[in-house]
Amino acid sequence: MSQNKRYWSGLDELHGTEEFKAIQGQEFPGVQSVDEFLSDDRLESTHTGRRDFLKFMGFSLTAATLAACETPVIKSIPYTNKPEEVTPGVANYYASTFYNGQDYGQVLVKTREGRPIFIKSNALTGEGKVGVRVNASVMGLYDSARLNGPRKGGQPTDWATIDADVQGALAAGGRKVVLTHTVVSPSLNRAISLFCAATGAEHIQYDAISYSGMRKANLADYGRDVVPTYALDQTEAIVTIGADFLGTWGDVAVQTTAWSKGRQPENGKMSSLHAFESVMTLTGSNADRRNMIKPSEAGRVALALLNGLTGGGNSGDLSESAAAGIAPAVAALKAAGSKGLVVAGSNDPNVQLIVNACNRALGAYGTTVDLENAWVLGRGNDEAFAALVADMAAGKVGTLLIHGVNPAYTSTAFATALGKVKASISTSLFADETASRCTHIAPDHHWLESWGDAQRTTKRVDWVQPTISPLFDSRAAGSSLLTWAGNPETDWYTFLRQTWNPNYTADQLYTDAAWNSSLHDGFMALESEGFPVSFEGAGSGLAAAKQAVMATKGGAFELAFYQKNTIGQGDQTANPMLQETPDPLTKITWDNYVTMAKSDMDAMGLNTYIGQEKPASVVRVTVGGQSVEMPAVLLPGQKPGTMGIALGYGRGANGEEVGRAAFQMAENGDFLRDANSALVPVGTNAFPLLGSASGLPQYEQLNVTVEATGATYALASTQVHSTDMGRDSIVKETTFGSYFAERKAAKGSASWNKLIRIGVHEDVNGDGVINAQDSKPTAAFDLWHEHPVEEVGHRWGMTIDLTTCTGCSACVTACHIENNVPVVGKDEVRRHRDMHWMRIDRFFASDYSLERGEEEGVGAIGSYRRMEDPAENPQTVHMPMMCQHCNHAPCETVCPVAATTHSNEGLNQMTYNRCIGTRYCANNCPYKVRRFNWFNYPGYKKFMNFNPSQDNLTRMVLNPDVTVRSRGVMEKCSMCVQRIQEGKLNAKKAGTKVPDGAVVTACAEACPTNAIQFGDLNDKQSHVAAVSENNRAYHALEEIGVQPNIFYMTKVRNTESTEA
Amino acid sequence: MQREAAIREPLILGNKSYKDITDDVVGPIQGPAPIGWKIMITISAIIAVYGVGSILYLLGTGIGVWGLNKTVGWSWDITNFVWWVGIGHAGTLISAVLLLFRQKWRMAINRSAEAMTIFAVIMAATFPGIHMGRIWVSYWVLPLPNQFGSLWVNFNSPLLWDVFAISTYFSVSLVFWYIGLIPDFATIRDRMVKPLPKKIYGILAFGWSGRAKHWTRFEEVSLVLAGIATPLVFSVHSIVSMDFATSVIPGWHTTIFPPYFVSGAVFSGFAMVQTLLLIMRKGMKLENYIHVKHVEYMNIVIIVTGSIVGVAYLTELFISWYSGVEYESYAFINRFSGPYSWSYWIMMTCNVISPQLFWFKKIRRSLIATFILSIVVNIGMWFERYVIIVTSIHRDYNPSSWGEFHPSSMDLGIFIGTLGIFFTLFLGFARFFPVLALNELKTILKSSGEAYKKQHDNH
Repeated sequence: MSQNKRYWSGLDELHGTEEFKAIQGQEFPGVQSVDEFLSDDRLESTHTGRRDFLKFMGFSLTAATLAACETPVIKSIPYTNKPEEVTPGVANYYASTFYNGQDYGQVLVKTREGRPIFIKSNALTGEGKVGVRVNASVMGLYDSARLNGPRKGGQPTDWATIDADVQGALAAGGRKVVLTHTVVSPSLNRAISLFCAATGAEHIQYDAISYSGMRKANLADYGRDVVPTYALDQTEAIVTIGADFLGTWGDVAVQTTAWSKGRQPENGKMSSLHAFESVMTLTGSNADRRNMIKPSEAGRVALALLNGLTGGGNSGDLSESAAAGIAPAVAALKAAGSKGLVVAGSNDPNVQLIVNACNRALGAYGTTVDLENAWVLGRGNDEAFAALVADMAAGKVGTLLIHGVNPAYTSTAFATALGKVKASISTSLFADETASRCTHIAPDHHWLESWGDAQRTTKRVDWVQPTISPLFDSRAAGSSLLTWAGNPETDWYTFLRQTWNPNYTADQLYTDAAWNSSLHDGFMALESEGFPVSFEGAGSGLAAAKQAVMATKGGAFELAFYQKNTIGQGDQTANPMLQETPDPLTKITWDNYVTMAKSDMDAMGLNTYIGQEKPASVVRVTVGGQSVEMPAVLLPGQKPGTMGIALGYGRGANGEEVGRAAFQMAENGDFLRDANSALVPVGTNAFPLLGSASGLPQYEQLNVTVEATGATYALASTQVHSTDMGRDSIVKETTFGSYFAERKAAKGSASWNKLIRIGVHEDVNGDGVINAQDSKPTAAFDLWHEHPVEEVGHRWGMTIDLTTCTGCSACVTACHIENNVPVVGKDEVRRHRDMHWMRIDRFFASDYSLERGEEEGVGAIGSYRRMEDPAENPQTVHMPMMCQHCNHAPCETVCPVAATTHSNEGLNQMTYNRCIGTRYCANNCPYKVRRFNWFNYPGYKKFMNFNPSQDNLTRMVLNPDVTVRSRGVMEKCSMCVQRIQEGKLNAKKAGTKVPDGAVVTACAEACPTNAIQFGDLNDKQSHVAAVSENNRAYHALEEIGVQPNIFYMTKVRNTESTEA
Repeated sequence: MQREAAIREPLILGNKSYKDITDDVVGPIQGPAPIGWKIMITISAIIAVYGVGSILYLLGTGIGVWGLNKTVGWSWDITNFVWWVGIGHAGTLISAVLLLFRQKWRMAINRSAEAMTIFAVIMAATFPGIHMGRIWVSYWVLPLPNQFGSLWVNFNSPLLWDVFAISTYFSVSLVFWYIGLIPDFATIRDRMVKPLPKKIYGILAFGWSGRAKHWTRFEEVSLVLAGIATPLVFSVHSIVSMDFATSVIPGWHTTIFPPYFVSGAVFSGFAMVQTLLLIMRKGMKLENYIHVKHVEYMNIVIIVTGSIVGVAYLTELFISWYSGVEYESYAFINRFSGPYSWSYWIMMTCNVISPQLFWFKKIRRSLIATFILSIVVNIGMWFERYVIIVTSIHRDYNPSSWGEFHPSSMDLGIFIGTLGIFFTLFLGFARFFPVLALNELKTILKSSGEAYKKQHDNH
């Protein structure tokens, strides 16, 4: 039967009809050509009736209307000729160097389709990682407030006019000055020298933040007018007197990394850090012992240390909290010997002379203090600047070129005197405080558009290379100088090459292999001759310095000026991402304020709790004749009787175009206007309040008055609760002594990291009775089936070491920029609606506990109330917190539409397209890491002035690999799933397994201390798998049993001696 | 015919005949609208329009117009949802459970209680809808076949259970209510003179002719539906409570929630029935049908459920301490002593202390006291949900994320707006629908009517 089977394509074939036979031979049966169709006679006889016509019309109209309802199509223009190195979708990285007069960093710039979108450290230098201010600086490139061309008298002009005017001015009389920040570029220095030689101008360097006091002390002691570099990885004990070396003082990027290398408890020893400071800084919060001092005591603390080290002597009066810290600090320094280090942030040469004496007493020179390879930064000359301002005011200055500094912001006298200069030319990118008062503006390129070279120390030169064509009609500052000097070579790139190779000609543009490879690396090692340091004259000024610091007395209230880790000296005040990154200690965004101690605030009746609807009390601080009114904020650890104000705020106080995010917004998104309908800047400029001693700015005022005004001012904080309420399963911490004693303990058994077990009603230990001893670890309890991720494929995970996390927030901005996290502005942050995927929880320790409450008979309610208040001088924990990617995720079970699910690689994934926005997942998250799109951030008016996605230019900074979320969906940390995907694809192309370290999240990449590690927990060879097995590793809130893929490492404080 | 003990108070006062009952109920529908009704519906409609406007603004702008934040992701929205669902409990309880228990006194109140249920459930269902970030894709919560691949709803999620629970409850309540209305619509139809209303009521009456067969079927269907509806009374609020009980949040993660929520719902539902009926009986002159005895019965239900709720509150407190879990015990310490303790104490006063006043017979039988206390109870029940939701999540596990909730004008506008919509619907019901189950009432006239009882006594 089977052989008789027949198949046919239709009944026609089966029956062999005539029609079938007719078409059988044709390849395309039934197809009529257009010609045939048109030549059909019958066509003419057909007609379309009125009704049919109307039907077709109606249909067409409806169809067209419906088609028009489609999402608008945005056409992208393909490359006509594809650039060789640009593949759409694949990122290119270029080594470059960031320098803004304060921060310095060797970086890699990630570009996509020719747009720089991300900045990370250049690992080849092996020197440390750039911090929060540097990696957020990419936003500045796309600031729409940047000048689009040269200006003359505030009006646009052309470069020829600028050049003619400047050359004319230079030909006229008067003093000619080039005023810059500390120039770290050898080429720019050469150009300035050529310019000065050609025009008779002088070069004055001026920095917003002065290091003159230290340089003067080093000049007096060692004949070297420099700031030394410090080998913090070599130190065993550091004592800092107000020097925030992990936040804003000195070479932060390098110092932070180096410091963390000495803070690994696994090494069996840890360096110790003692801090004496008035305002709690990042460094103080990371200190093993922090002592509160008044600013006027800084010198006497140094003296007491010196006396302690050298054996006695009078140190003058010290307050109790300062005096108590001396003996432990001295003991630590003595134990460390030449591996000890004393640093001070004071700009008073007398204090620095005593600090130098301390370091000499320790023998720290050559081990932890390096004067020979000094820091190239911080060379501003305050006396020369003061003389310049005097000459300007007297009308003696004919031509003033200003590059890289904004002295009209930092010096009121300069701003006034600037008007008397006949020709003033700024190379600023913005019409900022200084540039807008200049007669001409010749805008420089942004550093991401520039060629250049830079030096941090004399051992190495780093290259600055452009990553994008100049966006505006700007010109390299060096090129401008060379043009005005009448130099034959005005091309900046050629000039740069000639600095390093005098024989360079344009023929070698591409052929110099050595240059190409060093440019690829980003730097070139230099033969450093090293400057010998003479110790012969050291200590000659010590006696006078001792007299001076003994005589320093403060008034009832003293004021210390500090910089925030996020804003720094203030050149990036208009960077909305930095403004929204909370201060690591107060957690307040978008403002500066007066920090005060609780006792002082209570005495004045000020509000000490900043809540959503609980604004700060405004106080009036009077310094000399000047008053400012600012909100007061309680900062635990503030020495009673002192206050602190952050510098760097209040940019654009006269409406200068420094960038839109520098100004305050009203609730509807318009700019806030004061009574005179002028723009209101974010924060208050504290530079005019700075003290001064023998011509040097002093970052303290020793006699100020403060009074309550009765007014209030809303502040926006991302964390309104300060303490951890005794919940020790969130943050586990121990002392180095206890750690050391149990350093070999198995994971989960050490007294400081006990595995949490839950009692069960079964005889687990087999002793025949069911009692409180029968318990199981939380991992034994499963409500749902285990996710099949253990040992199968990848399981992405992370470890976060609380010991080395300094709270610097570099991870916060890196995450922000990598994942297009919306900037939501002050009003929304105040409403607890910040969108940070990665945040740093800051917990201050409380004096109180339930146990103490029991002892004192206070009861649970009273104890909890007291536990809400931090101690007067608390220990601090910085805890990075993001989605924990729980294997038993509470968010996943409650989503009605399965928009958040578990991937088979251990990721808790959020599918934006599927999310309907019930917010149940966020409510059910024990870590509260989920963030909801309350508004359409990329489109709603409230966010128009600061949200990057609402500005046509700033939008270019968005990462094309990450969706910009729309309104009504939940979002959260994805563990940079786009990077995981890229890493997997690369491995697939290479035909290998994903190598350890090939995929790294933005936060882990940015972490300067490598506290955050990312990798595949299933890859037993991976670093992260090893760390997760360390006996310090634990899960936060382990008892809930959600089994996260993120491990925290118990914080170890070096508060006991290592001999324990 | 069934006789009732003389000692029982009559349920229908006065010397009523069957015709009187029909006249009393249908009369207001036939007559012109009273001025009081016009004023009330105008006010309600204005508030309703304001509420609709607020909702549209919310939908147009985003959930951010509410006071919610990263810590407190639900507040007034879900408070209002649970509150309205709770109110929507009394109707079905009265008509279904009391029907099964042969409680004749329910007949005077079941019609309006059911209407209240329907409207309250509509109001309740509004909130899960508008609280979604993307309401335009809200249909994704339904397990519909779709073109998204094998994309299905998450049956583990209590929110999905909610969808089923609420929709089932709503449809069964609606059908039950409507079935009961059919004979009464027929009565109205028969008395209508104007053609258009006659036509409309004719359609609504589904061709009811009053034949014995119709009545038999009517009784059977009622009984079957009562049987179906009875478990729903318990399931709906149990499932709503699981929105909280199945979470990990201290203060939510509580096994006591299902019974506690159900009794709370009955508690608030009866209070709302009292509020509405005390107005309606006055406005529509139904004093003979809904009188002190009915009010007293309902007050007894309120004492019982209120006491259950009170015991539940205390049990929660005890267990939080007894469990020894620090998060759990803090959650409850924070409830009564933290920043939102004022709402806890409002809840305790309104829900636990105030209903105990009904132990006094004078208060229990006082219409004014009942009216005031019924409102107090509903305020208390609103705060109960607010306390559970806000005080639990504003300070949960991680103190770094502890925060506050401050309602915005839109929170207020939408809540007030739903009250406006609710009263507009209810006033419409009172004007055009038979507010008493008149045909059912007629069945007890001879057993429980005052005049007839007196006759029996005289015999």
